[in-house]
Amino acid sequence: MTLLADLILMPLVAFVVGLLLVLMARRVRAKIERRVGPPFLQPVYDIVKLYAKKTQVSHGVMHDLAIMMLLGGFITAEIFLPVPGLDGLAEHGDLITLVYIMMVPMLGLALGVGSCANPNGSIGISRALTAMLAYDVPYVVVIVGACISYGTTNLIDIVQIQQQGGPATWGAATMPILAFAGLLATHGMLGKEPFEIYIAPAEIATGPMTEMSGKYMGALFVMQCFQLYTVGVLYTTMFLGGGENWLFFLPKVFAVIFISVAVTNVYGRYKTDDVIRWMWKWPTGIALVGLALVMVR
Amino acid sequence: MPFALPFDMTSLDLLMAIAAAATVLLYLFGTARLGGYLATLLHGAALAVTVAMGLDLAAGAGAIPSSLRLTVLGQQLAWTLDGLGWFFLLLTTGAAFFSSWYMAGEWGRVQQRARIQHGTLALNVLTMVLLLSAGDLLGLFIGWEFVSWAAFAMMIQAGGPATQAAYRYMLYALAGAMALFAAILVVHGAAGGFGFDQMRAALPDMSTGMLWTLFALFAGGFGVKMALVPTHLWQAPAYSYTPGASSAFLNAVSARMGLFALILSLVKLIGFDTLAGLRIPMTGIESTDILAWVAAITMVVPTYIALMQTDARMLLTWHGIGQGGYMLLGILVATPLGVAGGLLHVFNYATYQMALILAVFAVIHRTGTADLDELGGLITRMPLTYVALLMGIIGLAGLPPMNGFVSKWMIYKALIVTQQPLLSIAAFVGTLGTILSVYKLIHNIFLGQLRVEHREIREAPWSMTLPMLVLAGIGFVTGFAPGLALSIVDQAQAAMGVALLPHHLGGVVLATGSLNMLWVVGVLVGAIGVGALIFYVLGNRRFETHQYDNYAGGHFLSADIRYHFSHEFYPGLARVIGPWYRGWVVRMEHGLGVLAEVSGDLWHGVFRAAYTPLYVLIVAVLGLFWAGGAGGFGS
Repeated sequence: MTLLADLILMPLVAFVVGLLLVLMARRVRAKIERRVGPPFLQPVYDIVKLYAKKTQVSHGVMHDLAIMMLLGGFITAEIFLPVPGLDGLAEHGDLITLVYIMMVPMLGLALGVGSCANPNGSIGISRALTAMLAYDVPYVVVIVGACISYGTTNLIDIVQIQQQGGPATWGAATMPILAFAGLLATHGMLGKEPFEIYIAPAEIATGPMTEMSGKYMGALFVMQCFQLYTVGVLYTTMFLGGGENWLFFLPKVFAVIFISVAVTNVYGRYKTDDVIRWMWKWPTGIALVGLALVMVR
Repeated sequence: MPFALPFDMTSLDLLMAIAAAATVLLYLFGTARLGGYLATLLHGAALAVTVAMGLDLAAGAGAIPSSLRLTVLGQQLAWTLDGLGWFFLLLTTGAAFFSSWYMAGEWGRVQQRARIQHGTLALNVLTMVLLLSAGDLLGLFIGWEFVSWAAFAMMIQAGGPATQAAYRYMLYALAGAMALFAAILVVHGAAGGFGFDQMRAALPDMSTGMLWTLFALFAGGFGVKMALVPTHLWQAPAYSYTPGASSAFLNAVSARMGLFALILSLVKLIGFDTLAGLRIPMTGIESTDILAWVAAITMVVPTYIALMQTDARMLLTWHGIGQGGYMLLGILVATPLGVAGGLLHVFNYATYQMALILAVFAVIHRTGTADLDELGGLITRMPLTYVALLMGIIGLAGLPPMNGFVSKWMIYKALIVTQQPLLSIAAFVGTLGTILSVYKLIHNIFLGQLRVEHREIREAPWSMTLPMLVLAGIGFVTGFAPGLALSIVDQAQAAMGVALLPHHLGGVVLATGSLNMLWVVGVLVGAIGVGALIFYVLGNRRFETHQYDNYAGGHFLSADIRYHFSHEFYPGLARVIGPWYRGWVVRMEHGLGVLAEVSGDLWHGVFRAAYTPLYVLIVAVLGLFWAGGAGGFGS
C-alpha cells in the first residue's frame, strides 16, 4: 500500500516541484532583466494552453511514441530517486540504474525528433547528444568518485551516510572538489547558457523543438519540469545530504537550480566543440583531482 | 541424456555427427530449393542437443565426454565438454540456427553461392565444437587452427575488401598460433605432457619468468581473435563485408572463441591466484592489470572509431570489438559479480548484435546500400526491421529495459566495488560513445527524410524479419528477467572454478546496491503506459501530417530536395576527436603495417639467405635464453 502511494506520489511531487523550479528560473531571469516576471501559475497556464491547442500535428507513430517514452522515462526515474519520506523502489535499482533510466527519455526525444524529418531538429539532437557526451564525462568521474567514497551505489544508503553527522558528513564537505566538479557538470546537464548549443534559438530554430507543437510541446514542457527536479534532487542526494524532511530538502534543491539559473543569464553560447573542450578540460580535470583525493583518503 | 542414443554415443558424439553431416550435406545441397530449410533443421537439431546437454550439466553431469580419440606423439587426445565450453557452444549453435533461418527464405535464394555460405557456416560450427570440447592443450591447438581456417573460409567467400581483411586476419592468426604453439611447448617442457591436469600440477614449480612467458603467449595468441588493441585492425572489415547471415554469425560468436580460449588458459588453467601473484617488480602492477588495461583501451578506442564510420556494418563491427573489451574486463575483475557480468555480456551481446547485423542486412537487401549517407526515412517502409534495430541499439547502448544494461551494470558495479575508478570511468565513457553512435545508425537509416528512390520499398520478408525479432525478443526477455540468462552463465562460472553469484529471476541482491529488473522494466513499461494515457486522453486529437508536407527555415521541403541531416552527423565532436583519430589511430595503423612488412621482409631475408651459421647462432641464443628462463631467472 505504501508502495502504491509512493508510485503515485513521487512523480506527482516531482511534477509540482518541477513547475515551481521552472517558475523560479523564469522569475530570476526576469529580475536580472529588470522585468516583473510571470505570475505564479504561469507554468500551469502554459501547459494547459499547449494541450488545449486545436491543431496537434503528428509526424508518425514514432513521434507519438517518443512523447510516451519521454514521460514514462522520467516518471520511472522519479520512482527510483528517493526523497524524504518516499523511498519508492530505490532498493531495487541504484544510482547507476537511475543514471541510465534518465537516458531513456533522452533517447525517446531523439527518436521522436528524428522522425519529424526536419534538419534543424536532427542538428539539435546531434548537438544535444554531443553535449551529453561532453558533460557526462566529468559526471561519471564524479559518480564513480562518490560511489567509491560512500562504498555503495544505493541512494538510500548514500543519504543515510551523509545524515549521520550533519553538514560535516555531507558529500560537499567530505569531497568538496568532486562536489564542485559535479556542480559544473550539472549546469551543463541543464542545457543552460553557455551550454545551450542544442536549443540555440537564432541558430537552428530551437533544434529539437522545431516540429513540436500543441501537446507535443506541452510534453516537452513537462519534461523540463521533471528534468530540473531530477537533476537538482540527484545533486542534493549525492552531495548535500538529501533531507530529513521536505523543509530542509526543498531549499537545497532550489539552491542547486538557483546557482545554475543565476549564472546562466550572463553568458553567451559556446560553439559545440568549445563545449566539449571546456567540459573535458575543466570539470573533468577538477573531478579527476577530486577522485584522486578520494582514492588517497 | 533424456533420450537413449545408439552405439553408446554420447550427446557430444551426436552433436559432432550432426555438425559434420551438416557440413557435408549443406555444401552439397545448400543451393537446392529447400537447402536453406534443411540447414535450419540441422542447426536446430544441434541447438536442441546443446540444450539437452545443458540440462544434463545442470543436473550435475560434470562434463560430457566424446568417443573421439586421437593419438599424437604417444599422447592420447580426448574431447570432453564442460560447463564453460557448453556456454559458448550454446551461443554457437544458437547463432548458427538464427543465421541459417535468416538465409532459408528469400535472402538465400538471391545469393549466388548459397551452398558455400551454408557449408562454411556448418564448418565453423563443427570446428567450434572441436575447440570448445578440447580436453588438452594439443586438442586446443588443433581446434584453434581449425576455427581460424574455417573463419577465413567464411570471410573470403565474398571477395573484395573482406578478403583483404581476411588475409590480414590470417597473418595475425598465424602469429597467434605460433604464440600458442610456443606456449604449449613451454608447458610440455615443464609438465611432460599436454593434459590440462598435468599443466595445473606443474604450475607451482614454474618460475616467475616462465609464468610471465605463458601469460604473454596465451594473451597475445588468443587476444588476436578478440581483436584486442593493438591487433584490432583486421576485424571490422573482415566481418563487415562477409555476406549477411555469415557476418551475423561471425559477429556474434567467432571473436568469442578467443575469449573462451583466454578464459580456459588464463583462468581455468593458470588461475586468478597465480596471475595475481605475477607482478612487475617494484610497481605492484599485476599481470591481470595489464590485460585489464588492454581491455579498457579496446573498449574505448574502437567505440569512438565506430562513431566515425559511415557504413552501417562497419559501425556495428567496430562496436563488436569494443564490446569484447567489456566482457574481458568484467572477467578480469575476478569477483563472482565481475565474472558473471562479463559472461552475461557474452550472451547478451550475441543476441542484440545478431539482431542488429541481420536488420542492417535486411536494409541492404531492400535498398542495396549500407552507406549511412544514402539512406533515411525507412521507418515508414520497413517498420519491423526498425523495431528489431531499435531494440538492438538499446541493448548495444546498454540502456534499460534491454539485456545489455544488466551485464554492463554488473561490470560497472564490480569495478566500483573493487575500487578501480579509472577502469570504471573507461567503461562508462565507452557506453557514452556507443549511445551517440547507435543513434546515428538508427537516425541515418530509419528517421528523417525518405529518399524518392526508396518510396516503393517493401518490408523484408518474414523469413528475415522473424529471426531478428525473435533475437530482439530474447534480448528484452533476458533484460526483464536476467535470472534466466544468469542460470546459463552459472554453468560456465562453476566450470571456471569461480564462486557463483547468487541471483534471482530479476537480478542480484548486493549489500552495496541491488538491481531488480522485474521492477525496473515493469515500472518503465507501466510508466510509458501512463505516458500513453496522458498523450491520448489529454488535449486535442492528433492530426498526422505527411513527411513531404514539412517545412524548415521558412521553405517548404519537397521530395526533390535532399535535406536529411546525415553526413558527418556529429561535426562538433569530429572537430575535437577527429585530429586525435587521424593523428593517433591512423599513425598506429600505419606503424603496425610497417612493422608487419619489415618483419615479413626480415624473415623472408633470413629464409632466403641460406646462411647456416646464422640459423645456428639464432637457435643457440634462443636455446640459452630458454635454459635461462627454465632455470629460473626472475624467480
